[in-house]
Amino acid sequence: MDTVTTVNLTKSYGRQAVVQGLDLRIPQGCVYGFLGPNGSGKSTTMKMLLSLVQPSAGEVHIMGEPMNRRTRRRQLARIGSLIEAPPGYGHLTGGENLRLVQRSLGLDEAQVNRAVQAVRLDKQLDKKVANYSLGMKQRLGIAMALAREPRLLILDEPTNGLDPAGIEEIRELLRRLASRGVTVMVSSHLLGEIDKAADHFGILAEGRLLFQGSREQLFAAAVPDVLIDTPEPRQASAVLDGRLTTRVEGGSLRIGGIDNRVTARVVADLVGAGAPIYGVRREEQSLEDVFMTLTAGGRL
Amino acid sequence: MSAVTVGATGPVVVNEFAKLRHLRVGLVAGLMVLGTVALTLLSTVTSAEFADPATRTWDVPLAGLSLAVPMVSPLLLAVVASRMVDIEHQGNGWLMGSTSGVTPGALCRAKLLTAGTVVVAATVVTHLAVWALGRLAGIDAPVPVGLWAGFAVTSLAVNLVVLALHLVLSAKVDNQLVALGIGLLGTVVAVFGSGFPGWFAHATPWGYYSLVAVAGYEGEHLVTTAPSYLSVLVLVGLAAALFVLVTSRFDRQEARS
Ligand SMILES: Nc1ncnc2c1ncn2[C@@H]1O[C@H](COP(=O)(O)OP(=O)(O)OP(=O)(O)O)[C@@H](O)[C@H]1O
Ligand SMILES: [Mg+2]
Repeated sequence: MDTVTTVNLTKSYGRQAVVQGLDLRIPQGCVYGFLGPNGSGKSTTMKMLLSLVQPSAGEVHIMGEPMNRRTRRRQLARIGSLIEAPPGYGHLTGGENLRLVQRSLGLDEAQVNRAVQAVRLDKQLDKKVANYSLGMKQRLGIAMALAREPRLLILDEPTNGLDPAGIEEIRELLRRLASRGVTVMVSSHLLGEIDKAADHFGILAEGRLLFQGSREQLFAAAVPDVLIDTPEPRQASAVLDGRLTTRVEGGSLRIGGIDNRVTARVVADLVGAGAPIYGVRREEQSLEDVFMTLTAGGRL
Repeated sequence: MSAVTVGATGPVVVNEFAKLRHLRVGLVAGLMVLGTVALTLLSTVTSAEFADPATRTWDVPLAGLSLAVPMVSPLLLAVVASRMVDIEHQGNGWLMGSTSGVTPGALCRAKLLTAGTVVVAATVVTHLAVWALGRLAGIDAPVPVGLWAGFAVTSLAVNLVVLALHLVLSAKVDNQLVALGIGLLGTVVAVFGSGFPGWFAHATPWGYYSLVAVAGYEGEHLVTTAPSYLSVLVLVGLAAALFVLVTSRFDRQEARS
């Protein structure tokens, strides 16, 4: 079952299309990394999921029910969210801020305490939020979102301003929540920040979804280059000339965009033509490379 | 299914009172009481009527109040509204409210209820203080209950309209200097409104302060008049309708960040 599905979700401001035709599928109990460069429409999409921004076209379904102005109130009770800047009244303490959330949602003390402990804010509750560091504000915002024990958690760049240890803690928290069945959607413009936590990805660029699927599918979608090690790369290149685009790099030949079947045939041809080959490998690709290739190319 | 309730009205209002902590709204309300009472007393004890036991009536402090209320209220009401609304701009409160089902318009309506309660309390204290201090100062004449109550109610109504206007203004225009500047201009209109033709007094909410004044000097003579109940009634009706309209538009507006 998918917790979030959208059909042709679109938002335009004036003539500028900010989000275009998104068909999101966010499976239940996963951590869905929503990635894209600055201005690609991540926050706008999340606001539409929460019905804070009216879509120009398309539909949002959450937990099988439509999400719109009429259903928003009921739906929001089971969705925790943190959008853009972390919230919090500076003239009140962290504890007083949480009390406001507790009262407006009718939560009990234990729910609030669990949320506070999850983000390790217990020791900072008596401090005024105006004196919080950015990381502490971010934690408070996450605690506010968590306190209602949501089935769906939507976090917009929650690791902004956190130190490496803090980022690691949030990653662990997200994984822990997902393992309990909570669906987590988390955005970032930096892949590295959520890379290890997420098992599903949606990659956005200029308002369009370039990729959506599991980690394995993501790696598969971006086929890494094949490197053929040979003392005679020019000779080898000549053999393949006209059939494939190749590039000579030192003692190896680089071939892009070929699957395993084609690779096998290429090797057979080279050996048949008498080219000396001592190594065939796929280039190691980090998720970062995949992300950069996808977003920079603007296509899949 | 979770038992979480979202967007109920009661907690929203209680939360507005909770947000008043450390916000010094009580202090501003106290200043409003203090300023109004002090100005009233000052003008009372320095008047010729007060000096002569034969003319030492409640009309004297009522004339003082009719002047002190428009002098003190507009700016301090602007400050109260601004302090209560600016925290939402600063703390990303509009968005946070929206994500728990409390729309910006609902937040503004709750703020009017909360700030309105504070203003009502300040008004009661002000009038009781003037009465008690007047007694102490030796005003033994019978209290003109009808006239005084009429002034108290109509001037309170004008104060609440000005407060509502400022809540909307502070919510709409992020830069609070704008709202405070308008509060200052409002003071000028409120104090000098009676010196302008009648249509001018009706043109802005602040002009109505001159329409509710129940005592004042015409040349050398202290005269009393009933407040313009009908004008104030129309103002309140119009303002209430506009406030509901504008705040329900806030509800439909898209979330800002
Ligand atoms: N209210 C608005 N009116 C006009 N344009 C808007 C509005 N809100 C967002 N945009 C535009 O929509 C585009 C996407 O904005 P959005 O905030 O969704 O991007 P983002 O992916 O969250 O970026 P970032 O990583 O910087 O947070 C931007 O070009 C922005 O200027
Ligand atoms: Mg954003």
